[in-house]
Amino acid sequence: MQVGLKIWRYDSATGDRALREYEIEAPEEATLLDCLDIVKERHDGSLAYRKSCRMMICGSCGMRMDGAAVLACKTRMYDIAEEGRVPVISAMGNLPIVKDLVVDMDPFWAKFKSTQPWLQPGYERPDDGREYRISQERMNVIHKEALCINCGCCVSECNAMESDPEFLGPQALAKGMRFVGDPRDGATVERLERYNQEHGIWDCTRCYFCNERCPKGVDPRDAIAKLGAESIRLGIDRDMGAKHAKWFVRSAETTGWLREEELIPKTQGYVAAIKQLKFGASLARHGKVRPIPFPHTANDVDEARNLRKLVREQDRDGALGIVQGERALGRLEHGHKDESLEEIYERPGAAPRPWLPEVEEEASA
Amino acid sequence: MIAKHDVLVVGAGCAGMRAAIEAFDAGADVAMISKLHPTRSHSGAAEGGINAALGNAAEDNAEIHAYDTVKGSDYLGDQDAIEVFAREAPGDIFQLENWGAVFSRREDGKLAQRPFGAAGSPRTVYAADITGHVLIQVLWEQVCKRDIPVYEEFFAWQLVENDGRCQGVICWDLLHGGLKTVGGKTVVLATGGAGRQYRVTTNAYACTGDGMAMALHAGLPLKDMEFMQFHPTTLYPTGILLTEGCRGEGAYLINKDGERFMKRYAPNALELASRDVVSRSEQTEIDEGRGIEGSVLLDMRHLGAERIIERLPGSRELSMVYAGIDPIYEPVPVRPGAHYHMGGIETDNGGATEMTGLYAAGECACVSIHGANRLGGNSLMETITFGRRAGRSAAEWALTHTTVEVPESAERDAEARLRELLDRDEGERPWKVREELGNSMLENFAVFRTEEGMSRQIEILEGLRERYPNVVVEDKGEVFNSDLTQAIELGNMLDTALCMVTAGLVRKESRGAHARPHDYPTRDDDNFLHHSITRWKDGGVELSKSEVRFTHWEPQERKY
Repeated sequence: MQVGLKIWRYDSATGDRALREYEIEAPEEATLLDCLDIVKERHDGSLAYRKSCRMMICGSCGMRMDGAAVLACKTRMYDIAEEGRVPVISAMGNLPIVKDLVVDMDPFWAKFKSTQPWLQPGYERPDDGREYRISQERMNVIHKEALCINCGCCVSECNAMESDPEFLGPQALAKGMRFVGDPRDGATVERLERYNQEHGIWDCTRCYFCNERCPKGVDPRDAIAKLGAESIRLGIDRDMGAKHAKWFVRSAETTGWLREEELIPKTQGYVAAIKQLKFGASLARHGKVRPIPFPHTANDVDEARNLRKLVREQDRDGALGIVQGERALGRLEHGHKDESLEEIYERPGAAPRPWLPEVEEEASA
Repeated sequence: MIAKHDVLVVGAGCAGMRAAIEAFDAGADVAMISKLHPTRSHSGAAEGGINAALGNAAEDNAEIHAYDTVKGSDYLGDQDAIEVFAREAPGDIFQLENWGAVFSRREDGKLAQRPFGAAGSPRTVYAADITGHVLIQVLWEQVCKRDIPVYEEFFAWQLVENDGRCQGVICWDLLHGGLKTVGGKTVVLATGGAGRQYRVTTNAYACTGDGMAMALHAGLPLKDMEFMQFHPTTLYPTGILLTEGCRGEGAYLINKDGERFMKRYAPNALELASRDVVSRSEQTEIDEGRGIEGSVLLDMRHLGAERIIERLPGSRELSMVYAGIDPIYEPVPVRPGAHYHMGGIETDNGGATEMTGLYAAGECACVSIHGANRLGGNSLMETITFGRRAGRSAAEWALTHTTVEVPESAERDAEARLRELLDRDEGERPWKVREELGNSMLENFAVFRTEEGMSRQIEILEGLRERYPNVVVEDKGEVFNSDLTQAIELGNMLDTALCMVTAGLVRKESRGAHARPHDYPTRDDDNFLHHSITRWKDGGVELSKSEVRFTHWEPQERKY
C-alpha cells in the first residue's frame, strides 16, 4: 500500500524545524513504526526516533500522530492509507525535543524517581523466608497501575502539566498508586503526604486525556482518583482539593444535593469566604442560597444516604470504592458474538484481516 | 575516559540490573551502560514466566527441575551449573517477590505456578502473560532505590583490554554524540541475544548480539553458537511472540485439517513437549502441505473468554493488534520464529570469562544451562540467578584490586575506525545487507538444516561481510545518530552469524535445536557430546571443542 507521512523534523544543534512529507510503499500489515523504518532506510537515514520491541511492551516509540500521543508500533496504517489521509507525525508534548521524534526523557524520570518508586516493606519478611501471602483479589487493586510501560504518552498529553511543568503528572502518580495499593508496602501515609503537596494529585485538571491516550489501559486519572480517595480515608485532607471532594460527599449524604453556598467556606475556609461575599451575593440573586441553619433537603435524600451506607458496609471507602477488580486489557472489544466474521472485518476501523483459515468447528473437541 | 567504576555492567535488562544490584549490595561502586533506557530492554517482552521449584502447585524439587533441564538440553547442558541453577532459583524468586514483583497468586495467597513445556511439574511462576515486564519493573525500582548510575543510550562498541585484563568499554554516546570511554575494574556483559539475524524473530530491534561480538573480537570463545532456539508460536506475519503460557493454559496446535497434530509427534506431552520438538513438528506439517500460508493454528477458543482475559490478556492484545484476530473467537496463525541463543560467551558458574576482569550473564553468556535446547521459563530464571552470581564475582574481584587504566591508543584506534565509517560518502545502505542476512539465515539455518544449505549460508555470509566495509551511514550528525549505531549492529550480527553456521556445519548430528533430518537424523554421543567453541582469528572463525560437565545424569534417548 501507499503511505504518506508528514514528519516534523527538528535539529537541536541549529534549532531548525521543518515539516517534511514522505511517500512510501509499505506492506498492508505495516505499523507507523514500520513506515518510519522504511523512510529511514530508503529515503532519509538521518530521521531520528526511538524503537525497540515493536510489540507494545518496551515503551520506546511514543510520539504524536495528528496531535495525539500513540505508540508507533501499535498504530496500524492500513485504514489511514486507505482513506488517503496523510497524518502529521511529531515528537511527544511536555518534554524537550532532542531531535526529530526523540524527546529528552530526563524530566519524566526525575518525577518518576521523586515518588520513591520502590517497595518499602511494611512488615517483616515472611518468617519462613518465602513469599508474602496475599490474595489475587487484593493484588488486582494495582493490576492496571502495574501495566505501565513508562512510554510517556500520558505525560505528553497532560493538560495540567502544560500549565504547571512541575506537576508530578499522570505517570509518576500512577506509579505512586502502584505502591499505595500494594499491601506489602508500609509507606502509604508518607507517600500520600507527598502526593498531597503542591503539584500533586489535587492539581490534576481531570481532563482524562491520560486515560484516553494510554496505550496499555493503565488509566492514570483513575489512579489519581484512587490516591485522592485513600488520602481522605486516612485523614490527609488539608488540601483544598480534598476538602472540596469531601464536601460533595457530606452535602450529598446529608441533604441529597450540593449546597454550593457552603462549598467555599468548607473548601477555602471562612476568611476566604468572607473575601468572596460579592460572589455570594451573586449566588443569592440567582436563588442559590438557602439560609444555612435550615438547608433544603431533597425529596429522595434516602437514596443518597443508602448509597453512602452501602459503601461503608462493603468496606469500600478509599481506593476500593474505585477499584472494580477490572482487568484493563479485558476491555478490548473486537470479537464477535452475533456478527459474522465478515461483518467484523468490514467494520470501520477494524484491523485488516490477513487471511482466515478454514477450520472445522469440531477440531478442538 | 569520562569516569571509572569498580564494576561496569553493560546492558540493563534482567541480567544486567540483577548483576548491578548484587555488585552494589556487595559494596562496589557500580554503574550500568545501556543503549536503551533499562525498562526498554527486551527482557521486558518475556511473557510466560520464570521457573523455580517452589512446589506451590504440585510436588516439586530442585532435583526434578535440574533433571528436566538436563533432558531438555539434550544432555549438552553442564550439569554442575544446572544443579546450582535449580537449587538457587527458589530463593531468587522469593527475593523478587519480597522486592515487590507483582506475580499472579493462588487462592491461598502463595505464588501461582503454571505448567510449561517439558517440565515435570507446574513450575513456572508468572504474572499473567507479562512476566518479563513485571521483572524489569521491579529490578528498575531496586536500581532507583540504590541510585545506581546508568549511562543511558550509550552504545557499547569495544572492550578495553589492558595489561591482560578488561578495564573498560568504549561507547558511542547516542544522545550527545562522540566516543566516550568508561573504565571499570571489572566489566559484566549482559547484552542479550542476537535474534535480529533472522527475518522472522520474536526479538526486539535492539537484539543484535553486541556483547557477543565485543567478546568475540576481543579474542574470547563463544560456546555452542549453532544452537538457536525457534519458538513454536510466533505470530504470522510479524514473528511477534505468543507465550508458551497459551499452551500451558491448554491451547491446542492444529493444522489446516483441524487435526491436533502434536499427538503424532509427542503422544504424551502433546503441545507441551519441549520447544525444539514442537517447532520441528510444526515445520514438518508446514513443509508437508498441512499448514496454511506457512503457518499452523494456535487454538485457544475452548479456554473461554474469562480464562483468556485473566491469564493471557497480553497475548490476546497482540493477536488483535498484529494479526487482526481475537483468540476468544478464532484460532491464531503461528509459526516457528528465531527466539533465543542457547550459546554465547563461555563463562564459569560465577560468570567469569577467559579474560580477567570480564564477566558475562544472561542470554549473551553460555554457562551452559540450556545446552542444545532451552526450556521455556528457564531463561528469565537464568538472568536472575546468574546475573546475581556474576555481579557478586565481579564485585569481589574489583574490591580486591585497585587500578583502572585505559591506554590512549585504544581510544585513538576506535576513533579512527569510527571516522572511517562516518566519513564514507558512497556505498551501499546497510538495510540491504541486513535484509539479505535475515532472509538467508531463515532459509538456510533455521529449524531444519542441511549440509548444502549451511555451506551456501557460509558463502552468503562471506559475501555480505565483504560488502559490509562499504556500507554508508547517511546521518553525519552527532545527536541521536541511530543510523550509525544500526550500521555497527549489522557488523556484530554478521560476525556472530558466521560463528553459528560454521559451528553448525561441523556438528554432523541432530541434537536439540540443531536438526539435520536429511543427512544426520540422530544424536551421535560418540562423536558430538561436546561443546562447540568458536574464536575469532585472522578475520575468520576458528573452531575447537570442550568437554560437557556431567554429575548425575547419563545421556538417554529423549522422548516426550
